[in-house]
Amino acid sequence: MNTSSGGGMAALGGGGRSWSTTSVSASGKRIQREMAELNTDPPPDCFAGPKGDNLYHWVATLIGPHGTPYHGGIFFLDITFPSDYPFKPPKVVFKTRIYHCNVDSAGNVSLDILKDSWSPALTVPKILIALRSIFTSPDTYKPLVPGIAHLYLADKAKHDELAEEWTMRFAK
Amino acid sequence: MGNDGEELFKSPLNSKNHSPATQKPEVVDNGRGKTETLFSPRFRSAAEMAGWDEEALLIASLIVEDTPDRHIKQKKRSLLPNLKTPPTNSRRKRRAQRQSSTSLPIAVLDLEDDAPAKEDRGKNLTEPAILEKENKKKLKCESDAQGSSVSSSSSVAIPCMDRLREELSCAICLEICFEPSTTPCGHSFCKKCLRSAADKCGKKCPKCRQLISNGRSCTVNTVLWNTIQLLFPQEIEARKASGASNPREDQQRQSPAERRVVNPPYNVGNRNVELLNSPESENRTQHYRVRINRDNRRRNVNIVRPSSSSETRMSRGGGGEVVRRRNELPGQDEDAALAFRLQRQEFMVVFRGSNNEQLQYRSSLAMARENLRAMATRAASIRSSRGRTNS
Repeated sequence: MNTSSGGGMAALGGGGRSWSTTSVSASGKRIQREMAELNTDPPPDCFAGPKGDNLYHWVATLIGPHGTPYHGGIFFLDITFPSDYPFKPPKVVFKTRIYHCNVDSAGNVSLDILKDSWSPALTVPKILIALRSIFTSPDTYKPLVPGIAHLYLADKAKHDELAEEWTMRFAK
Repeated sequence: MGNDGEELFKSPLNSKNHSPATQKPEVVDNGRGKTETLFSPRFRSAAEMAGWDEEALLIASLIVEDTPDRHIKQKKRSLLPNLKTPPTNSRRKRRAQRQSSTSLPIAVLDLEDDAPAKEDRGKNLTEPAILEKENKKKLKCESDAQGSSVSSSSSVAIPCMDRLREELSCAICLEICFEPSTTPCGHSFCKKCLRSAADKCGKKCPKCRQLISNGRSCTVNTVLWNTIQLLFPQEIEARKASGASNPREDQQRQSPAERRVVNPPYNVGNRNVELLNSPESENRTQHYRVRINRDNRRRNVNIVRPSSSSETRMSRGGGGEVVRRRNELPGQDEDAALAFRLQRQEFMVVFRGSNNEQLQYRSSLAMARENLRAMATRAASIRSSRGRTNS
């Protein structure tokens, strides 16, 4: 809390004092607000915060929810905010490998709210909740890896077994 | 009417004349003819001058016998001044006239009866206003009551302040809505945020994705905006200051030349505000703000009005000036907004002035008013001194 807010303050102070960075500070302010919100009221099993001094580059962790093959795994994500955030969605990339039909091998996520359905009213906590929800119910209609989606629909037990194996191997 | 008659009868001065009437009430019932004898001709003439007929007097005399205590008290009070005068006939006449022509005691009583009722009503207004914060944007009077209670106790936050803040925040910038604009689907955002959202993310409501007809034509939800200004004067002030310090952000609204004129005096105070907005020094903000405002006010008073006038006159004058200027120079909606806010503040003060129980609100309210006045005079002085001097 202390370190993150300190970093944020420095960023805001910079924006306030040097008039050249005013366009950035609007998104910066918003990101700061989200950070404060996350610190005071974090969503369950989620953590997120700036990587270092850069407000626009965050790290997030998701804990695999109970009742899913991802249970027990800790998944790291990178969140990169564009300069015109919140009018453009942040880029979310899985840094931990995961066997999931909506996450490809590079870690890209196919989540509608991070693409076309993005709304400036969405925040990082909401994104994290949405990501958690694809753990429990993968979107097999718009898969990023069609093979996994097929397996999920055809043989869920096999899919779960594989996913568990991957979780054990990469996320623990 | 009956009351007046009563008073007259009961008064010790008149008791001599009317003792027969009170002693023999049964005579009254017998008819008009006999009533003539009950009153001295002089008294009757006086009563006639006062516009009373015999019947009214008699009824009044009957009432005297079983008047409740409350009435007696009232009578005593109203008759106190009369006791000093010697009991001469001429005086009595005059007194009768006076009492009849002016229904003063009744008026006083009305006021007394009304005052607590009004207070009760005020309380009833504030309590639900605080309780049901969901409806806060609906009724202006409610919001006013709420605003008064909140702005007065800006340091002593009301319990639901956090929720209010949450509710009145813009979902896009996550700050208190600044000039909120409400979509057809009923969601409110800062006007600027909504406009940017419509430009960059398509014409859909950021909250519910319903189609917004046209992001360009968004108007400020006045009631909501006023409510927000009353509830969070500090945030809005800070935001305004920071908005003024960023010429680029406001460029589309105001010509750059005008902006530049406004800028320099803002900078000094503004830097403090920016700095103080950081969470660490929030508690110091108040102090600094007061100092800034004092500085500004001193400066402006020196420039604009060397003679210090009374508070209300000053603010009214400032508002008038701003409005007048608006006619001279185009595109000064900021000034108009200031004038409007000043007027409202003033109205609130006057309105509240009737309830003297709210004296404790005054100090903080006065401070808020000072803020506004400082801004107004500042703006006015900048405009007026543009040609002549610089601040």
